[in-house]
Amino acid sequence: MTTTNLDPSSIPLPTRRRPRFGETGLRLLAGATALLLVAIMALLVYETVRQARPSIQEFGLGFITSDQWNAVTDQFGAFNFIIGTLLTSVVALVIAVPMAIAIGLFLSELAPRVLRTPVGVMVELLAAIPSVVLGLWGILVMGPFLAAHVEPWLSDHLGFIPLFSGYPSSQGVLPACVVLSIMVVPIVASISRELFLSVPSDLKQGAMALGATRWEMVRSVMLPYVSGGLVASTMLGFGRAVGEAIAVTQVIGGANAISRSLFPPGDTMASRIAAQYAGTPTALSRSSLAYLAVLLLIISLITNIAAQLISGRLQRRLGGAA
Amino acid sequence: MEMTGMQRVTKTAALAMALAVVALAAACGSSGSSGSSSGGGSTSTVLTGAGSTLVAPLISQWEPDYAKSAGITITYGAVGSGGGIDAITNRTVDFGASDAPLSTDQATACKSCLQIPWALAATVVTYNVKGVPDKLKLTGPVLAAIFSGSITTWNDSQIASLNPGVNLPSTHITPIYRSDGSGDSYVFTSYLSAVSSDWKSKVGASTQPAFPTGQGAEKNSGVAAAVQATDGAIGYVAVSYIAADSLNEALLQNAAGQYPEPTTKAITAAADAVTTIQPDGSVPLVNPPASAPDAYPMSTYSYAIIPQTSPKAKQLKAFLTYAIGPTGQAFGPDLGFPPLPSAIVAHSKTVIAKITT
Repeated sequence: MTTTNLDPSSIPLPTRRRPRFGETGLRLLAGATALLLVAIMALLVYETVRQARPSIQEFGLGFITSDQWNAVTDQFGAFNFIIGTLLTSVVALVIAVPMAIAIGLFLSELAPRVLRTPVGVMVELLAAIPSVVLGLWGILVMGPFLAAHVEPWLSDHLGFIPLFSGYPSSQGVLPACVVLSIMVVPIVASISRELFLSVPSDLKQGAMALGATRWEMVRSVMLPYVSGGLVASTMLGFGRAVGEAIAVTQVIGGANAISRSLFPPGDTMASRIAAQYAGTPTALSRSSLAYLAVLLLIISLITNIAAQLISGRLQRRLGGAA
Repeated sequence: MEMTGMQRVTKTAALAMALAVVALAAACGSSGSSGSSSGGGSTSTVLTGAGSTLVAPLISQWEPDYAKSAGITITYGAVGSGGGIDAITNRTVDFGASDAPLSTDQATACKSCLQIPWALAATVVTYNVKGVPDKLKLTGPVLAAIFSGSITTWNDSQIASLNPGVNLPSTHITPIYRSDGSGDSYVFTSYLSAVSSDWKSKVGASTQPAFPTGQGAEKNSGVAAAVQATDGAIGYVAVSYIAADSLNEALLQNAAGQYPEPTTKAITAAADAVTTIQPDGSVPLVNPPASAPDAYPMSTYSYAIIPQTSPKAKQLKAFLTYAIGPTGQAFGPDLGFPPLPSAIVAHSKTVIAKITT
C-alpha cells in the first residue's frame, strides 16, 4: 500500500501541472497586454497622421513657419504655437527646477526628521491636483493677482527687459508659465529627493571628513553625483509642460500671437488643440489641428530621446571620473 | 537598469522609426472614408441631443414636460454649438443644436442634414470697466475698431462722442472672444462684417474667426468669467447669460440709428423684419433693415440639426413639432427666448416633414 502511495507519477505531477498552466496563462495575458499597448500606440500615430493628411498635403513643411490660423481664409500654420509651447515650457522650468531641487535637497538632507514625511507627502499631493482645478485657480485667483500686483511691479522695475514690458493682463503667457511650473515642481522635486537619498553616505561622509561644509558637500559631491538624474527629471518635467492642454487653455488667453513680452495672451500647441477641436468650421481647420498633434508627438519624442542621451552621457562621464 | 544610455537611445530611436513607418503608412494609405456608425440604438422612447449652450435652458424645460405628455425622454448635452455639429455629423446623437447655420464644409460632412430654426435668441455685448455704468452705447464700426485693436482705451473720443455725460476712464481695453467654435462668435462677426467693410475684408464671419487682438475664453461661461475678472474687458455672450451673471450690456446701434435693448420685444422685431429663408435653410437675422427701428441688431435663430434619414424619424418629428409649437415655445419668454414668428413655424413644419426613416 505504501509503495503505491509513493509512486512519483501519481502524486507530484498534478501539483506541478497547475502552476505550469497558470504560468502560461500569465505569460499570455501579460504578453497580450503589452502587445495591445504597442498596437494602441501604433494605431494612435496612424490615426493622427491620417487625420492630418489633408493639411500636410495642403501646407507641407510651410505649416511650421506660417503664423496664420484663420478658418475664414483656410490658412493654417503652427509657428506661433510652437514658439508658445517652447516659451511657456522653458520659463516654467526656469521657475520650477531650482525650487524643486531645493525642495528635494531640503527633504533629503536638511529638514528635521518630523517634517520630512508630511512635507514630502504634500509635495506629492501637488501632483495629484487635477489640472483643470489648477487652471480654474489660475483664472480666478492667480491671473488677476499677477495682473494687479506682479506684472505692474515687473514692468516698473524690469521693464527695460522686453519680456517684462507692456500692459498687464490676467490671461496671458506668464500665468500659463506659473501654472505649468506648479505642475512641474512635484515631478522634479520627488525625483530629486530620491536621487539625493541615493548618494552613498560614505561619499558624503568622506567630503565632510575632508573638511567640506555642508554646502560644499552638496555642491561638489551630491550635485555632480545626481546630475544625470536631475537632467532626466527636468526633461520629464519639460515633457509634462509641453503636453499640458487644459490648464494652459484656461489661462493663456488663446491668441494666435507671439509677443516679446510675457504679459499678453498667446497659445501653445496642446492648448490650441484642446480649445478648438470641438466644432471646427472647415475640414482643413480640423485636419490642421491633427497636424499640430503630429508635431506635438514629434517634439515629445525628441524630448524623450534628448533626455536619455543627456542623462546617459552625464552618467558615463561621472562613471569614468569615479 | 543595466542598459547603457546609448543602448536605451538606440531602442527609443528604433521604436520611433517603427512609429514613423506607421505614420508613413497613414500618409500614403488610401483616404477611404470611414463609414459613420448609425448610432442611437433601438430604444424608441429616448432621444439624445447635443450642442448649443444658448438653447440649453429652453430644452431643459421641454425635457420634463415632453416626458410627461408624450412619454419620450429627451437627453441633451450642452457641449456647445460646434460640439453638437460634430456629434450629429458622427451620428452619435439623434439631434444636434447650433446657433450658427452649418458651414459649407460642415454641411458636406453632415451628409444631408436639415437645419430647423426652433428658438429665437440674441448675442449681447458685455463689458466691465470700473466706474462706467450699464448700457453704454456703441455703434457697429466702433465695436469693430475695438475688436480690431485700433481703439485701445475706454476714453477714446469715438466711444466718448456716443456717450455724452458718461465719465470714461483711460483704462486699457481687453477684447475677449470665444476660443471654441461658437454660434455667438458667428453672430457677432456676422454683425461686424455687415456694418464694417474693414472687418469683412480683414477678419470675416465664422464660428471660429481669427480675431486680430484680445484674448480667448471657452464657452459663454468662460467669456462671462473673464469679463468679470478683468477691468477694461469687453466681450459677447448669449442673452440669457446677461441676467444670470448680472453683467453689463452694451446697447448697439441698429440700421435705423436706434439703440434698442436686447429684450424679447426687440428680438421679435428683428425676426419679423427678416423673413427671407436662405437656400441652406438658415435665416440670418443680424443687422436687420432700417425699416424696423425697434429691432435688436445681433438677434439669431438657434437651429436643430437633424439627419434627413433617421431610424427615429417618427419620434424626432413629433418632438420637433412639439418644440416649435405653442406648448414648446410657451416656455421661452421667461428665459429670454421670444416665440418664433408664425412664418418661421410654417417653414420649420415643411422641413420637419422631410425627415424619413
